[in-house]
Amino acid sequence: MREPYNRSLRGTPCSMRVVGACCAALAVLLCSCSADLSVQREAHQEKEVPAAPYSIVCVIHGDGDYLYHDTSGNKYEANEKALEGAQKVAQQNPQAEVFIFHQRPGRHFLFFFPLRDGEFYYYRNGRLIATESYWRDQKESRFEPELELYRRFGMGNQREMIRLFLYYGHEIPECGGAGYDASYPDRPFTVGHLVNGLKGFTGDSARFNLMIVSTCFGGTPYTIGALGTFARYIIASPDNLHLSYFDFHSLEHLELSVRDGGVSGFARQFARRSFDRLTGDIQTAVSVAVYDVDRVQEYVRSVHSVYDHTLTALKRETEPSLSTAEHCDCADLSPYALPAMNEGVEVFYRPARFGRSKDKQSHSGWECWRRRGPQLRD
Amino acid sequence: MTTRIALGSIMMMVVLALPAHAGGKHELQQYFNNAATRVKATDNPSEKRTILHESFQTMSRALEMVERSSSMSKDDGAGIEYLKATLQEKQDELAGHNGYARVSDEQLNAFSAYVVQDMEQADQVVTISLVALLLIIIIIILLV
Repeated sequence: MREPYNRSLRGTPCSMRVVGACCAALAVLLCSCSADLSVQREAHQEKEVPAAPYSIVCVIHGDGDYLYHDTSGNKYEANEKALEGAQKVAQQNPQAEVFIFHQRPGRHFLFFFPLRDGEFYYYRNGRLIATESYWRDQKESRFEPELELYRRFGMGNQREMIRLFLYYGHEIPECGGAGYDASYPDRPFTVGHLVNGLKGFTGDSARFNLMIVSTCFGGTPYTIGALGTFARYIIASPDNLHLSYFDFHSLEHLELSVRDGGVSGFARQFARRSFDRLTGDIQTAVSVAVYDVDRVQEYVRSVHSVYDHTLTALKRETEPSLSTAEHCDCADLSPYALPAMNEGVEVFYRPARFGRSKDKQSHSGWECWRRRGPQLRD
Repeated sequence: MTTRIALGSIMMMVVLALPAHAGGKHELQQYFNNAATRVKATDNPSEKRTILHESFQTMSRALEMVERSSSMSKDDGAGIEYLKATLQEKQDELAGHNGYARVSDEQLNAFSAYVVQDMEQADQVVTISLVALLLIIIIIILLV
C-alpha cells in the first residue's frame, strides 16, 4: 500500500522538471501568439538585388473547404497545392518579383490564443527574399495587411514591369458573401472587396497586364466588368472549376513565354495548357476563357443593366442559394444573347462527361444567373 | 499523477482543436472517394453498379433522416435539399431513369470519378452547418 506513495515521492523532482519545461515551452509559444505583436519577420530583406521586369501578385484563399482527390484517390488540399505551385513559379522566374499571400484558416492554440492567419512570401529573381506571417484584415478593407506588405517590399517601378495578378480560391460571390471564410463566417467577401484590394495593388500604376481568376464562375459580365478596370486581359472559368485549378507550370520562365507572343499570346497559351491538363483528369465540365478586356467592354456595358437587375433580385432573397437560383450560360438567356457576345472572348470548353449538360457543345464564355422554377422577380 | 493529468489535458486540448476546423465536408468527400476506389478495384460491372447504387442510397437515407430533424435551420434544409437532388440525378443517370441514358459498363470508373469531382468544385454555394454535417456522417457510419 505504501509503495505508490514512495514512488510518487521519488518521482517528484522529475515531475517538477517536466511541468517546468512544459510551462516554459507554453510561455514561449504564447508569447509568439500574442495579438499585439506586429508582423513577424522571419527573413531579412535584401536591398541590393537587381530590378526585375516581371511582377506577380498571387493571392491564395485557403480559409475554406479545399480538399480534393486525384484519379487514384489520393487527397490534397487545393490551397496548399496552389502555394506549392506559386512558390515553384517564383523560383523558376529569374527575372521576376513575386508576392505570395496565403490566406490561411484562423487557428487557436489551446482554444484561446489566436495564431496568425496569413503567410507572405516575397521572391525576387528566383530567390526567396522574405517570408512573414501576418494577421489577415478583420475590417471592411480586407486587403490592408497585404497592401502594406506589397508597398513595403515592392520594387516601385511598376509602370515599367509586366504585371500579373493571380487569385486562387472559391467562387467569389457577387453579392452577400457571408461564409466565404470558414473561420470568419460573418465577415463577407465579394467581388467588391476584391476590387477594393485591386485599387490598392494598382495604385497610380497602370493596370495589370494579365489577371488569372482561378475560381468557379469567374466569367460573369459583372465580375469581368468589375475586375476589368484593373487588368488588360483576364483568364477565368465561366463555369465550374475543379479544385485542381488552372496550371501554374505555364507561369514558369515568363522571360521566354511572354517574349515570343506578348501578353495576349501568353494568355492564350496559358488557357490552352490549363484546359488540356484539366480535360485529361477531370470528368466535370472544363471551361477556360480569355477576356480581352478592352474588346469585351461593349458587351459588358450592353448587358450591365439587365444583369444588375438580376443581382438586385437575388439580393432581395433572404440568402441566394442553389435552391432558388443557379448559374447558366448567358447564351441560354435571350436578353444576353447579343451579337457582341463573342467579341473579345476566346473560350476553351468541354462539357461534363455525365449529367444533364453532357451534350452541350459550346459555351459563350459568359455565365449568368437564372432562377430555379419561376423567373426572378423584378 | 499531477504531471500526467497536466500533460494529458494539454494533449487533449490540442488534439480536439484539430478536427473542429475540418468542417465535416471532408468526410462526405471521403465517403464518395472510398466508393470510387472500391468501384475501380473491381472488374465486375455489376459489382461496380451495386457499390455506386448503395453509396447513393445510404447517403440519401442519411440526408432524409437529418432533414426530418426538428433542429435543422432553413439554410441547412436548403443545402440538404440541394444535395439530395444532386444525388437523385446521379442515381437516375446510373440506372438510366428520368430521361438519362444508362451509364455504360465501360464508363462506370469514369462515372465514379465524376461523382467525386462534382463534390469538389471550387464553388462555395452549398452551405450546411457543421452540426448537420456531423449528424449526416454519424448516420452514414451507423447505416453502413
